[in-house]
Amino acid sequence: MTGTGARVMGLTVTHRRAIALDSVDLDFGTGVHGLLGPNGAGKTSLIRVLATVAAPAGGRVELLGQDMTAHRERSRVRRRLGYLPQEFGFYPGFTVREFVAYVAWLKEMPACSVADAVERAVERVGLMDRIDAKVKTLSGGMVRRVGIAQAIVNEPDLLLLDEPTTGLDPEQRVDFRALLREVGTACAVIVSTHLAEDVAAACEQVTLMESGRVAFRGTTAELRELGEATPHDAPDGTVSPIERGYTAALRLHRASSWDPGTAPDTGSGSGSKAGR
Amino acid sequence: MSGWHVSGPLAERYASGTAAEAETWSLEKHVETCGRCAASVSAAVRAGAAGPALDGIRAAVLAEARRFPAPVPGRAGEASPAARRVWPGGRRARGEAAGAPSGPPGPGGGHPPVPEGRRRRERVPAAARRAGLSRRAPSRASRPGPGPLARLLWAAGPALRPSWLTALALVLGGSLFLAYGVGYDSTRPLLLALSPALPLTGVAMSYGRYADPLHEIAASTPSGGLRLLLTRTAAVTLVSVPVLAAAGALLPPPATEVLKVPGPAAWLLPSLALTLAALALGSFVGCRYAALAVAGVWAALTLAPRPGKPGLPFFVTELPEWVSGPSPQTCWAAAAVVCAGLLAVRRSSFNRLETL
Repeated sequence: MTGTGARVMGLTVTHRRAIALDSVDLDFGTGVHGLLGPNGAGKTSLIRVLATVAAPAGGRVELLGQDMTAHRERSRVRRRLGYLPQEFGFYPGFTVREFVAYVAWLKEMPACSVADAVERAVERVGLMDRIDAKVKTLSGGMVRRVGIAQAIVNEPDLLLLDEPTTGLDPEQRVDFRALLREVGTACAVIVSTHLAEDVAAACEQVTLMESGRVAFRGTTAELRELGEATPHDAPDGTVSPIERGYTAALRLHRASSWDPGTAPDTGSGSGSKAGR
Repeated sequence: MSGWHVSGPLAERYASGTAAEAETWSLEKHVETCGRCAASVSAAVRAGAAGPALDGIRAAVLAEARRFPAPVPGRAGEASPAARRVWPGGRRARGEAAGAPSGPPGPGGGHPPVPEGRRRRERVPAAARRAGLSRRAPSRASRPGPGPLARLLWAAGPALRPSWLTALALVLGGSLFLAYGVGYDSTRPLLLALSPALPLTGVAMSYGRYADPLHEIAASTPSGGLRLLLTRTAAVTLVSVPVLAAAGALLPPPATEVLKVPGPAAWLLPSLALTLAALALGSFVGCRYAALAVAGVWAALTLAPRPGKPGLPFFVTELPEWVSGPSPQTCWAAAAVVCAGLLAVRRSSFNRLETL
């Protein structure tokens, strides 16, 4: 087991007959990667394929250097995977501790290390004082933090978080981004979000998705520079450079992919075209 | 090092947390190499306000060390640099403080990290704080790990949920009520007709995005897929078979020869075959629909009235012949094997969410 991160080649994903990802080539190494894009851009489809819960319609997926077609490799990778879905449920009677321990058990962690790993994970998301509370008694933001705790309980080498900041208040977001940066020093973290500020604060690399294609790839600084270089019509100070870069990259992508023969009907809005 | 040593008053100031920052630094640096001063500082700290708390920690650490005689393996045992950070404000757990002035380390060798916890810093003496003191620490020793029973229940997952157990209890109670309360003669054959299909409902509730709120997370783990489904099916079977057998045993003896039915051993194979059929079908259409379909077909075959055959229902007259005797049993066994083979061929379809 030598590989790190994730790599996809020619990845095509369909969702209810619509194309969610259209022959995408991407690779993610160690560090925090932001997956940015409007709703329906294909972010969730990509994350779910990387989490091995959805099957691609075409292309190759390589996680942690392993090809994902064989059962043995997939199990091996899954042990080192952390995944927070956009939505997840829990068994009504479970406490935070039981919930996280249950996921640790599903991830086949050695039984003797589970108890410690659970406390560490819960501590890292700042829920130590509620560890023995029932999950159903927690607020939405706390449940999301429980979700993050279950994702990091096995100290994964590949951490996939789908819209993790939803439901977190601003202060919790700041804490969460700090946690992300720190986890990202040792492993590959892929965070999907539609908030440009999440990317600005926590990610080194940005992948901007639009209509199932990659609209922009680069460092956060590059996206910011793009935003600063682009003239904008909004009054000064109301839009951050990173948000301007986001908009500018999207416009550039739409302009370049506008080819009446092949391009999807992108229109001018920011709504969803392909995918869900 | 020079001839400087920790004086008695300094040790006391350090223990009470009133020593100046610079003094604290030189003291801590010094006790790393000077055993005599380390001992005197230790004594001062133990005699101070933090003494009882330190004793508690020491006991907890020793208890922990005895629970795991060998060092806890690799990544999970030692706190990695990444694991030390705690969420609020990015404060770090201080369990790793060097030179904890509480005497030589315990026999276990590896101190488990004792994080400080999340409380705002209160007036805990500096020395005690560096030793990783927290009110929570002693309770960590008695922290409940997941016991074997918990793991067994976890394996069952959502399969053994109250609604299904209630259904099982209803069948048990209902058949007893029919037999003793109403005096319905055919209860025994009726139970025989229901028994093979009952585990199916549990299977339907055990896996897939409709049945399992944790499904998306479970599907991304190595346990996900067919293995988890089989584990849960086994749990369902293990609970339902004894209950149904007990129900059969509690019923009154058959009134006539016609109503005599084979015992629980007879419906085990049919039940297994139906369950495997549901699982195999489930690899195409999802467990919920598959279990419903198989149970529906079984119920239609056994319970529905037959035209042209008035009198006793089918499950009294013919069902016992379907399940008793060597040749029907062989057929059921063959069916089970076929379904199991199909399931093995289709196993990879359970790795993905779409069909489930």
